[in-house]
Amino acid sequence: MDTIIAGAIYTLIALGFNLIYWVTKFFNIAHGVFIVLGGYTVFLLHNTLGLGLLPGVAAGVLLVGVAGMLADRAVFSILRRKRASSVIMLVASLGILWALQALIALVFGTGFQRLSGMGEIPETYEIFGAVVTEIQVAIMAAGISVTALLALVINKTRFGRAVKAIGDDEEVARIIGIDTDRIIGYVFFIGSAIAGLGGILIGFDVGLLPAMGMMLLLKGITASIIGGAGNIYGGALGAYLLGLVENIGVVAFSGGWRDASAFGLLIIFLLFRPRGILGT
Amino acid sequence: MDYLIHIAVYFTIFSITGMSLNLIVGYTGLFSITHASFYGIGAYTTALLLTRLGAGFMMSVALGVLITFAAALLVGMVLSRFSDDYFAIVSLGFSTIVFAVLLNWQGLTRGGQGIFGVPRASVFGYRLVSNADFLMLSTAFFVVTFFICRFIVNSSFGRVLKAIREDEAAVRIFGYNTVYYKLAIFVTGSMMAAAAGSLYASYIGYIDPSVSGVNESIFMFVIIILGGLGNLYGPLLGAVFLILLPEGLRYLGLPVIVSAKIQEFIYGMVLTALMLCRPQGLVGEYKP
Repeated sequence: MDTIIAGAIYTLIALGFNLIYWVTKFFNIAHGVFIVLGGYTVFLLHNTLGLGLLPGVAAGVLLVGVAGMLADRAVFSILRRKRASSVIMLVASLGILWALQALIALVFGTGFQRLSGMGEIPETYEIFGAVVTEIQVAIMAAGISVTALLALVINKTRFGRAVKAIGDDEEVARIIGIDTDRIIGYVFFIGSAIAGLGGILIGFDVGLLPAMGMMLLLKGITASIIGGAGNIYGGALGAYLLGLVENIGVVAFSGGWRDASAFGLLIIFLLFRPRGILGT
Repeated sequence: MDYLIHIAVYFTIFSITGMSLNLIVGYTGLFSITHASFYGIGAYTTALLLTRLGAGFMMSVALGVLITFAAALLVGMVLSRFSDDYFAIVSLGFSTIVFAVLLNWQGLTRGGQGIFGVPRASVFGYRLVSNADFLMLSTAFFVVTFFICRFIVNSSFGRVLKAIREDEAAVRIFGYNTVYYKLAIFVTGSMMAAAAGSLYASYIGYIDPSVSGVNESIFMFVIIILGGLGNLYGPLLGAVFLILLPEGLRYLGLPVIVSAKIQEFIYGMVLTALMLCRPQGLVGEYKP
């Protein structure tokens, strides 16, 4: 059951990351801070200012989406116009992660915070003999429904076709009349908003730390790469595989080896199957 | 005075990590974000040899460098399969693995508790008790590292490295085995980082696994980009910036944790701004 919960969380991170990678072809490290930003926005709106749970979460997701879009406007779109290399884009996004992460720590403190509001003692359910909390059910549901929804948007809408076209070749997409900057801006909105949702759910489940974004993001990147970078289903598949391998690592050795086993898996994949499970 | 000496020791140590990483990133174009791993291996080797076996400092440096040679060779062979942003991500992966080993190998490293009471170095029977004595040792390391780096980048070997950075495929067509060159510089730079780690452990007297953490590796990477890639003096400028910023913030009288976060905020903003306006860093000669 831990595997499925971890897999669902990594799915939410990998989906947005993968979507952005698909159209921009760079590793957006700033994605990590949008996870954390989501959690803290809800902390501010819901726990501190007393906004209701659902409006708080909805506002949190939207605000993170807007933040992602602003990052694209202010930094990445300019770099794209300058035809900066993917390494420059990566370093620029690393700067955004550091600056925002430090800002969050300055506002909320570097300590551990937990989102509350689901009642003091979380309601638990039994699924296949395993006890899960209400929020963990929400995480699993979110993992599946967001994947399905995103697949629907990509495959059935005009916007989705434009995203695919840009993913194949941005230059050609622009020539055939697609407003690539606008579409990429929306992609940043959607991708970051999904990351924010992931961060909110993590905040309810295990809690928030300002500095946790980097490690979560690295898990998301790992999931994307082993599933197939730039393939939404691949990201989800990779996420569950990663969750499984991590938990095997924890059971076989100890909790301290969780992160190391994740990266061991990444390196093995990159050496022997660099395009991932579903990559082409 | 002692305060200035302390800052000078820090400068020499950070400069050694910066100069060595610059060989890898700035001159060869390999985006290594695992430099602190080798720094940590050096630091732990010295800390363990000095506290447990009572060995000499130079002996521990030599062994740390030797262990790093083997580790960097292994890591470098895997990394030589990748380039650019994939190189960066895989090297980040290695830095989490080294961190996990130092944290979880309790029997050897005492895990998260770290190692206390690492004695000051003694060199040739002379014990460097005061900071001023230590500064002489670290300056000697600094000067040696600087001249090795200068020798490397001005040699024909260094010219091949710069050519690889600009266009690896073309260099390969001329018949150079680029994998060998990349591996050689990665291992050399990493060994220098191990020596810097040894100095640090003996100077501060306490280390824990965070010396080789992911953040530390990213930090070293950021510092050399700020200073300038592919220029011998760039990392020195980066080290000055790294040291002056916290000292400047200290005058504002903020709590330590707040000023640390303000520093990170400034590094982040400067880094993004540099990528927008001047991606080669302040005095850099290589634009990634």
